[in-house]
Amino acid sequence: MIGLEHYITVSSLLFAIGFFGVLLRKNTLVIYMCLELMLNAANLGLIAFSRYHGGMGGNLFVFFIITVAAAEVAVGLAIIVALFRKRQTVEVEELNALRN
Amino acid sequence: MSPEFYQKIAETNQWGAIAPELALGILALSLLLLEIILPKVAHGAIPRIAILGQLAILVYAIANSCSGACVTGEAFGGMLFFDATGELFRVFFLGSSVFVSYLGMVSLEKKTLPQVEYYHILLVVTAALMLLAQANHFVMLFVALEAATVGFYILVSYFRHSVVSLEAGLKYLIMGALSSAILLFGIVLLYGAGSNPALEASSRDPLNFGNLEIFLAANSGDMLGLLGMLLVISGVAFKVGAFPFQIWIPDVYQGAPIPTTALLAIASKGAGFAMLLSLVQVFSPLSDWLVPLLSALAVLTILFGNFAALTQRNLKRVIGLSGVSHAGFLLIGVVAATKVEWATTAVMFYLFAYLLASIAVFAVFAHLEKEDDSEISLDDLGDLAKKNGFLGMALAIGIGSLAGIPPLAGFIGKMLIFVAALEAELYGLMAVAVVGAVVSIYYYFGILKSAFFEVWHFQDDDEDAPEEAEPGASLQFFGKVAILAAVAGTLILGFYQSPLSSWLSGG
Repeated sequence: MIGLEHYITVSSLLFAIGFFGVLLRKNTLVIYMCLELMLNAANLGLIAFSRYHGGMGGNLFVFFIITVAAAEVAVGLAIIVALFRKRQTVEVEELNALRN
Repeated sequence: MSPEFYQKIAETNQWGAIAPELALGILALSLLLLEIILPKVAHGAIPRIAILGQLAILVYAIANSCSGACVTGEAFGGMLFFDATGELFRVFFLGSSVFVSYLGMVSLEKKTLPQVEYYHILLVVTAALMLLAQANHFVMLFVALEAATVGFYILVSYFRHSVVSLEAGLKYLIMGALSSAILLFGIVLLYGAGSNPALEASSRDPLNFGNLEIFLAANSGDMLGLLGMLLVISGVAFKVGAFPFQIWIPDVYQGAPIPTTALLAIASKGAGFAMLLSLVQVFSPLSDWLVPLLSALAVLTILFGNFAALTQRNLKRVIGLSGVSHAGFLLIGVVAATKVEWATTAVMFYLFAYLLASIAVFAVFAHLEKEDDSEISLDDLGDLAKKNGFLGMALAIGIGSLAGIPPLAGFIGKMLIFVAALEAELYGLMAVAVVGAVVSIYYYFGILKSAFFEVWHFQDDDEDAPEEAEPGASLQFFGKVAILAAVAGTLILGFYQSPLSSWLSGG
């Protein structure tokens, strides 16, 4: 029988994978996917809590998060593409114009 | 749920109470419309229209700020909460956005970039920040915060032909999205804790601040709630640039266009503290954990900000790191606010003093007339006082107020925070703050030294050097008014605080 704790475990795992992905990966696009993974981990958690505890607040919040994530992707990818046109790279280590 | 229930919720929609935000949104849209309607020659008027419109809204907001009968309490089904502090933050954000519009006018004129969009996004961000300061529900908080943050991503990377601006945008994007995700997961955990029907005082709407506070008071040992509080505070600490989360500040401040740097330094910091002040209230049942956490953050933030600023030569980096230490001082005020009620007023006073001083300093930076504004260093201030005495005076007053030199407003702000900390018996924090204030004088006076004292020039260097524009060449009437207002405000608040403080405490 799959219960609430299973969903929350998966959600926490997804969040952790995304978090460490952002910290450890070097490719900007992969980092960006990890950020989206973290948002979706939150979505899964909200839906599970909402389903098992009753109440629609969590389900409703998920719609807002999806919308926000879409806006963030639109802006973020635009910045990454503009930067790629200038520098011909999306590797974090090679993006080092800002050093004192 | 019966129709009467929805009827009741709909009746709490008090649209009149959010008139300033609505007006800002309409103004933002009409700017885009004006760009289509007006002939090309008249496009120069659009920034002026934006500034005048904002000034009108600012006057309305000040006139309406709880002097007489005004709307207080919850509205929009518990999404927003109107009180005096929210009104003050409205004025704060509007003031900073008027000033940033002016800076945008100065620095965008030199570029071949679309201009109107900058003001459009700026106005939308300001409206979002104003709603954020009055949020009373985590859904509202998150959506308003993201509306502002996504706008910030665009504003930071607005100079899209410059690699540094784009890189700063990317860094801010990754850091900002990371902090939002952490904040969001914290909210999810709080939702999970507060909606659990097995626990006492659980609620069907646990993301409402009031409901959550009641729940946390009944279950102060709940692990899920505690973890959620930790993640939410970490997410907010990113936004204010408190210690382990300050790594993005120097790079982003350096790469962003000057108007955006000013907006980040003033409005983004103010928004972080607006959130913290209301969250401290929500999490007050957990203050056994919250107070040590915030105190540790404050100590590390003050020490890091001041010592890291000592070795910098780039002016925007220095100001960024000094902003980190100011965040530390404000955090002390927030900690004190958990015990002493009027400490909130001290935090607000400090923020307004910081706003005025930053206006003076950033206006000087924008008028140094450097081609590449990510490379303004201490050397570019050379002989500023001799070349343009007005800008030199503004810089001296602004920096002096940031450093907390009496009799300027920054000194009174620091003193109010100290007195609040004393009353709350936070002696350790006070000691660290004094050390930080002393260290900060070194780098602030480094800035003044390079502006006021002769720099050695090699004679033949001067002959080869291309003619650079004199500082202050593009200073216009509105700029002079803005600088004068900031300087006068800083001086007056240093001597005579009672009007502002009585206004701040809602009297």
